[in-house]
Parts: sequence; structure tokens; C-alpha cells
Amino acid sequence: MPLKTLKKADAETLTLEWILHVKNYKLTLSRKLCVGCEICSLVCPKEAIKLVNQPKTVDGKAQKAKVDITLEKCNFCGICDILCPYGAVKVTLNGEHVLNVVEKESFPTIIRDIQVDAAKCPVDCVECEKACPLKIIKVTWQTPDGKVLEDLSGVSYREGLKVNVNVDKERCPCCRVCEFKCPEGLLRVRKAFYGVIRIHPEKCPEGCRDCLDVCPITGALYLSEADGKVHVNEVFCVYCGACKVVCPVDGALELKRTKIMHTPVRSGAWNKALERLASPLEMTKELKAKSSLKALDSVERRFIRRPS
Amino acid sequence: MAEKSETKPQNKPEELRIGVFICHCGLNIAGVIDIKELVEFAKTLPDVVFVKDNRYTCADPGQEEIRKAIKEHKLNRVVVAACSPRMHEVTFRRTVSEAGLNPYLFEMANIREFSSWCHSSTPREATEKAKDIIKMAVAKARLLMPLQTIEVPVTNRALVIGGGIAGINAALDLAEMGFKVYLLEKSESIGGHMAQLDKTFPTLDCSICIEGPKMVDVGRHPNIEIISYADLLSVSGFIGNFKVRVRKNPRYVIEENCTGCGECKDVCPIEYPNEWDMGLGTRKAISVPFDQAVPLVYTINRDYCIECYKCVDACGARQAINFDQKPEEIELEVGAIIVATGYDIYLPYDNQLFGYGRYTNVITSIEFERLILAAGPTGGKVVRASDGQKPHSVAFIQCVGSRDTNKYPYCSNFCCMYTLKHVVQLKEKYKEDVEVYVFYMDMRTNFKGFEEFYQRARELGVNFIRGRVSRIFEDPKTKKLIIHAEDANLGMPIEVEAEMVVLATAAIPKKGTEEVARILNLTRGADGFFMESHPKLKPLDAPTDGIFLAGACQGPKDIPYSVSQGCGAAARAATVLSKKTWKIEPIIAVVDPSKCRNVTVKCGICAERCPYGAIKVEEKQPAQVITAMCHGCGTCVAECPADAIQQMHFTDAQILAQLRTALEKDPEDKILAFLCNWCSYAGADLAGTSRFEYPPTIRPIRVMCSGRVDRDFVLEAFRLGAGMVLVAACHLPYDCHYISGNWKMKARMDALAPMLHKLGLSPERFRVEYISAAEGVKFAELIREMTEQMKALGKERIKAENQKLRPILENMLKRKEKR
Repeated sequence: MPLKTLKKADAETLTLEWILHVKNYKLTLSRKLCVGCEICSLVCPKEAIKLVNQPKTVDGKAQKAKVDITLEKCNFCGICDILCPYGAVKVTLNGEHVLNVVEKESFPTIIRDIQVDAAKCPVDCVECEKACPLKIIKVTWQTPDGKVLEDLSGVSYREGLKVNVNVDKERCPCCRVCEFKCPEGLLRVRKAFYGVIRIHPEKCPEGCRDCLDVCPITGALYLSEADGKVHVNEVFCVYCGACKVVCPVDGALELKRTKIMHTPVRSGAWNKALERLASPLEMTKELKAKSSLKALDSVERRFIRRPS
Repeated sequence: MAEKSETKPQNKPEELRIGVFICHCGLNIAGVIDIKELVEFAKTLPDVVFVKDNRYTCADPGQEEIRKAIKEHKLNRVVVAACSPRMHEVTFRRTVSEAGLNPYLFEMANIREFSSWCHSSTPREATEKAKDIIKMAVAKARLLMPLQTIEVPVTNRALVIGGGIAGINAALDLAEMGFKVYLLEKSESIGGHMAQLDKTFPTLDCSICIEGPKMVDVGRHPNIEIISYADLLSVSGFIGNFKVRVRKNPRYVIEENCTGCGECKDVCPIEYPNEWDMGLGTRKAISVPFDQAVPLVYTINRDYCIECYKCVDACGARQAINFDQKPEEIELEVGAIIVATGYDIYLPYDNQLFGYGRYTNVITSIEFERLILAAGPTGGKVVRASDGQKPHSVAFIQCVGSRDTNKYPYCSNFCCMYTLKHVVQLKEKYKEDVEVYVFYMDMRTNFKGFEEFYQRARELGVNFIRGRVSRIFEDPKTKKLIIHAEDANLGMPIEVEAEMVVLATAAIPKKGTEEVARILNLTRGADGFFMESHPKLKPLDAPTDGIFLAGACQGPKDIPYSVSQGCGAAARAATVLSKKTWKIEPIIAVVDPSKCRNVTVKCGICAERCPYGAIKVEEKQPAQVITAMCHGCGTCVAECPADAIQQMHFTDAQILAQLRTALEKDPEDKILAFLCNWCSYAGADLAGTSRFEYPPTIRPIRVMCSGRVDRDFVLEAFRLGAGMVLVAACHLPYDCHYISGNWKMKARMDALAPMLHKLGLSPERFRVEYISAAEGVKFAELIREMTEQMKALGKERIKAENQKLRPILENMLKRKEKR
């Protein structure tokens, strides 16, 4: 059978597929994990991804925008997969999650720097698990005989239990909520996306809280009791832009990404992605940094670590 | 564009001495028409001094008789009543000129295609019609004028369109003869379908191994310039002097710098379905379609590329990659064009019976070809798409789409043989491990070594089942296919289970054939393939001079046939290219400066209507025809409000003489028809050649283009009482051989028709129809239909209408009468 292209959409997932005789490319978007942010639509090099704004619910709450992907434009490169902060997109080849753009060093991966010193964790503490707005932290305990316990109810002893804090990194947008909620200060999270977010309350329509409705990170946005408007807590913001997508007033919510933590790469595709994700200025900055690094590297190679 | 020798008619009063030669054409004419009666009749015609009948006028003795008679009887006009002028006008023109007579003093009366062949069951009426046709020809012959042929210079370069095996051979042969050849190819590499194939039948030698060296020869030949990844935009000019505009599409790789090393491909992260593999496998966003590509230049597919520029890094100092490349338009000047655009394979998505596109394990033969090919996406393993396993039983189904009156009625020529090749390959590869079935209608193995190959397949234990497949079902679990068919030999329905089904689908006209046809003014047959000038005697010539056809663009052909055609077309093109000058028929338009209105008032209608821009009109000057640019359609002649333009050999006087002669007797029973030479006249010829019978009511007048049909002709016909008038043209919008002559005619007749209706003419009595050279059936049906309408109206009603019309028409035509 010749090339068959498929697109299936239901409430749970959106699937795109190329079925060739010996190869199968598949893109799956989990509607549950997707928060309707703008990142994939910005970075798609083929401009295949569109966001469709959804009507408000009956009780007046804003709904996250819905992602739609044009099958004819998609080339299954996986850039959306790499950059999705929430791990909502997966691109596979013959069922394996292998991305050619990463293998061939044409595109970087996001660095999700999350460190937990679980050895020092108090045995009964599950604050991080409770605090995680996306429910991707799971605390488990290892008994001295190697068994892994999911919870401690019914376990009388505490002696010899080893605490493990498991973070589903692929789905982590690095909001740092867990870090702040950890009573012992044992979690360290570096943001993956840096930026600036501003809400101009004077422009906000009376009673509008659309941004707050869709923000997936508890605490990044909050309703101020003083003026009844939404305000930002930049500490937790991951700069995904889900709020910006639904904001009904131009200029009421300003969002700018300035830096993305990524593995080193030299790639036009990344430069373009960065340009669209942040700004041309940020891209130039990174390029300049890279060229000075390159100069440093060549100096090192020549005069310090001359290869044998 | 230099040209010409004088074309002015030399009018010196002389005594007319017309010779009429009537051909029996064996029994083709004499079997129906009473030749003796024709001879006696011809003797009674004015100025006819000599009449002779021959068994075959076109054969040597027949031609000799014409030459002899010209000398002995001092003939100065010759009429041959035989077949269609499209067939032998050129032959007899040569004959008379050999006897010292100007070739344009010859006229042909078509009594075979237009009478004996289409009225064979009514010999009496056929004879009467033949008499009229001869009488019309003699009437025209009396007004013929000697003309001198025009000579134009010839550019001795050629353009070959399409780099498949036919185009490759055409280009190589021409280049070897010493002519510069441009080989235009739409895709990235030359090679065509043959480069996609694994083995060739019946010898089973590797396809690319024998084509590859030829492709390399083309790439290296100093006389050949390959213009690949390019589109044909437009062609203007005429034989010997074509101007061709071509757009080279950007590859984003600089052809001169690319060494074909492939390092860029290795670093490219993006894959897309390879159209060369029929989408079975993938290729990189920067790649060549196959390893042996010529020219070996990589191409970036920007539809898929993410612009990571890894290829730029890999290419390094060679600097062959340029993302800013733009499409480039170039102009070529050539003397001859060979069209070798090939065919496509029908993908039966629309045929529900076979489940193609729905059932995973139903594939087409070309896809099978890519599977069994060692360099293909599976490395030569025949595997099922559903589970990646080798099938244990494979069924081949013949004639999918072809020989199907609902789809493509023609036979696709090579499917029987490639299926035999596939089954032999499969059997020899997997031996007892695979059971093979072939469902066929007829096994057509009619060339050298083919039948023996069929025998070989049978000896290998392939099950040949004669019968049609009615339906295929898929077992949703195992993905096996259950084939319901009829075994014609057993005379009962059967059911066969197979793990894979291969469909031998039809070969169809290449995508874009319509566009090429429009650009080059080519005609297409009912099957959509290009039409040759004559199916027997000019199989390689397109109807337009200087354009030739080769390979499967004219109809499905196997490799040896395509190669022969490529070489043949090269030889045909060389007949043009090897000459310094080419003679053009002097049937062009000539302006009478004394009558041209533009001298006194601002006119310029002729220049505006000329499809070729061949008329120059300057203020206060009579219009001027640029001889070499005039194609001789006659549109300007019909449009000129002052009747100041004449078309040589198709003058108003000549056409009116034919018309008046045709309507001398019982005009109310006759349909006067103006047929354009290229489409309608050819269509009418085809009706005769195909022996479609229709009533002998029609009296045809041949014009080069329907654009020549003056409204005065129509008025005059009705003034004389014609029962009906038909103007037949090439199909709109693009079929006209003079670009837009048919449109000009349409505009003219659209204005005339309502006026005639208002004056009391029944609308059905004046018809404009569009008939292509392939529509013999349509022509016959049209004449039948019109004759019935004419009968239904009745002679009395027609006469009454004519009576009413006559004074008004006479008034309108006064201007003409004065001359």
C-alpha cells in the first residue's frame, strides 16, 4: 500500500500519522496535558500548528485554546515535541521516541535542571508532591529489603526507609513551586524559560479573569483582593503564554521570553525558533555569545589542549 | 526573422484548361460510387478539357498519368477526386509541380472519406454527393492562382521535452548527428519510469544498469544541455524558428558547485515520503531521488526542510547550497521540438472493488516493482505493509482500469508482460515458498520472446486464472485478502485467499498533458494521449509542423518501442534541422492597400484580431502582414470590414464559388458546412475512415481555421436557400491550432445568430459546433441529428423562410455584389 496519511482527533488526543510501507511516523498530542499555550504554534517551522480559541463555559470561565495541526504541512520533525513545556506532544518513528533533529544535532533539547537531595528528606514529608500543580511529582519509599512503597499508610516503622522523589521531567515546565514549598530546602529547580510578564490592571476589563482561568501553574497568577484584578507572581511563571492566548484586550497582558535553557547547538532552525519564541534581539545575543564561545574554543584548541 | 520570396498572385489572363482525375482507390471508392457516371459528369463541367479515372491515382502510374496529361493536354489546373486532402494533397502538389505546373493550381475533391466511406449503403446518393464535391472543386480550381512558397531560415538546435528513455534516445541521436539539443526535464533527474524499474522483460536484465550508462552519456555529451527541474512556460514561433520559454525551479543547490558527494544528506535530520518509491520509503529533505541520478545534483525540498543549515556546514568550502535561489526564466531558440513527456500510472483509489487505499496489503505493480528492487525501501524483500512479513501467497490482477469501458477503454500495452516478469521474479526468488495467482482477461504476449516468457512463467507453476475479479475482502485480523472471481474456463465463481494483492493498473496520460497540449497546440485523442498527424504514415509527427512525438505520451509503449520512437523522432527532427531554410505554405493573408480603411479612418481591427500579432497597423498607412509570422488562419480576412484582406488559396471568391456551386440544385435539402482543417475536417475524415454512416446531406467546404468563416458566407448561403448552415471548429478553449481563431469565430457568429433568428430563420438552421479530430462519432451523429431536424422543419417551411429572408439578405450583401 502506498503512503497513507491519517489524522484522527477526539476529546483525548489528536493523532497525525504517515504510514509508509516500512516506516511509521506518528505525532500524538494529549489534549489533557496540553494547556493551550502558544509555544508549539510559534516554533513550528512549517507553520502547521494553529490555536483555536474556545468559547467560555456556562459558568463564565475561560477555556484553554485548542491546538490543531494541519496534516499536509506537518513534517514530523518533532520540534513541537522538544519545546512543549508540558510534554503534551510526542513524535515517534516506528513506535520509538527517537527524534532525528536531536540525533543529528539540528536542534537542542530543553534543559530541565531539577535536583532533589532526597537523602535528607524527612520520611513523612510529601509537601512537594502535594504542591506540584501538574501532579508530576511522586514520593516513594524504599524499604531496607528493596521493596518500593507507594504510600506509608499502614507502615508502622520509619527506620531504614529511603525516600525517593520522582519527577516526570518530560512533563515538567520548571515552575519552581515545589522548590518554594519544600520545608527543608532540598529541591532546586532552575527555570527552563526566562522572561518578563506584566499585567496592566488599568487595561483589564472589569471582572475579567480569563488568564487566571487557564493558567496551569497555581500561584503564578492570583486575584488581588485590593483591586479585584489579576496579578502576576513572576517567581512561578513559566512564560508559556497560555494566558496571553486567551487575554481579550490587546496590551493588557505583556509576555516576553528572554532566554531558554538548552543544550548547545549550531542550527538555523533553532535560531529561527528562538527568534519567534523570544525576539530577534535575544537571538542575536545568543549568537554573539556563541561566537565568543567559539573563539574561546578555538584558542583553547590551539594553545591549550592541542589534540595529539 | 527574415523570410520570403514574393507571394503576390500573378494574374495573367489565360485560357483555363482543367484536368479532372477520378480515383477508384481500388474498391474503396469504385465499390460504392459509379465512377463512369462521375467521368461523364466531370466532362460537362466548365473549362474541363480532360477527364481520366485511375485504379490508384496516388500510385506511381496514376501520378505519371497526371504528369503526362498536363503536358499533352496543356492542362493549367488539376483536380483529383480521391481521398482527403489531409492525406494526399501534398503528394499531388508535388506531382503537378514535377510536370511544371505551380503546385497551388491543384485542388482535391474528397470523395472517399466524405462520400464512399460514409454513405456505402446508399450508392445513388453517394454518387450524387460525389458529383457535387467534384463540381465544387472544379469551381474553386477555376479561380486558383499560382503561389510561390515562402522560405524561412532554420535554427539547427532542438528541444526535447521529457528525459525518459524515449527523450534520452532522441536527444542522444540528435546530438550524435551534430545538433545542439536542450533536454528539458520536469523532475530532478532524467531517467523517467525506466529508472524506477527493477528488471526488464523478457530478458530480466537490470533496468537501471542498462539505462544508467545512457543517462551518463546524455550528461556528458558536449551537444546536450540538460535543463532539469524545469517547467515549460510557453512556445511561440513556427517550424525552424521556435522560441521557448522555460522556468528553472530553484533546487537551493548550485548546480555547478554540487559534487554529488552526499555529505549533506547524511547530516540532514528530516525525511519525507519518496515519490520515486511511490511513497513506500523516505528520502531526506536534501537528497537525490535515486543514486544514479543525472545530473547528480542534490535538491532541497523546502516543503519539509526546517532550515537547520546542517547541510551548509557539511558542504563547507564547496559552498553549493544557496537558500536564496530564485526561479529563473530562460529563453531558448530551437528549430524543432520533440515531445516525449511519457505517462503516469493510474492509482485506483476510486475503484471500490479492489480496496486499494483501504486494505493495507493491496498494492499496485509499480509499488511491487519498488519492493522487489534491491535498492528499494525494503532492500529487495517483498514484505507486507501490515506485518513486515513475506507473503506466502500473492495474487496479481490484470487490467485494473484498462480495458474497462467505465474507466480507460484502451489496453495499456505492457501490463501483461510486467506481471509475467513479476511472477517469474517472485517464483525464482522464493520458489515453493510462495503461491502465485494471476487473474487475467487475455494474456497479450505479441512481441519477440514474449510468448516464450509466458511459457517460462507457466513452467514455474504460476496459477493463471482466466476471469475477472468481482470483489476483494480483507480479513480484519490477519489482513489476508479474499478474492472473489469468476473462472471463465471452469465457468463458475471461485474464491482465492492471498496474503498480498498486486494490481496491474492502467497507464494514463501524464499529469500536465493538457497544459503541454495547450502550450504546443497539440491535439489529444479520446484517451487523452497526444494525437499523431497520421496513425499509419506520420506516427511520429504532431499536427503542428516541426513538432514530433516520441514514446508513451502518444499512447502506452514498452521500452524497445519507446527507444525506437525516440530514435525515429530524432530522425524526423533532423529532416528539419539539417536544412538551412524551410519552405512554408504561402496560404497567408495579403492586404490590398487600395481598399484598406486605415488609410482614411482609424481602423486596425485586423491587427487586433490576429492571434499571432502578425499585422502591423500604423496611422494613415494600410495594414501590413508580416509574412513569416502569418500562420494563414484567415481570421483577419473574415474580420476586415472593407474586405481588403485576402487569404491566398482561400480567397472570398474561391469559397463563394464553392458555396454557390454546392447550392445550385435543391439547396433546401442541403447542409452547407464550413469545417476547420485541423479538428472538424479531421473529425469528419475520421467518421469516414471509421465507416460511420450518416445522411448524404452535407456539402463541406474546407477552411484552415473556423476564424476564416466570414459572416457574408453564411448570409450568402441562406440567400441561395441553403437548408442549413454549419460552422464547425476546434473545441474551446484551447484546441484551436491558431491559438484563438475559434473564439473570434464564436464572437462573430454569436452576434449573427440572433439577427438571423429575428429575421425569421428557425434557430436550428444555423449551427456552430465544436468537433475534435478524434470525434468521428460526434460528427456522424451531428449530421444525422441536423438532417432529422431539417426533415422535421420540412422543405416548404424552409422555402417560405428563405423567401422572406432573401430580399433582406440581398440588401445586406449588395456591398459584395458590387465587387
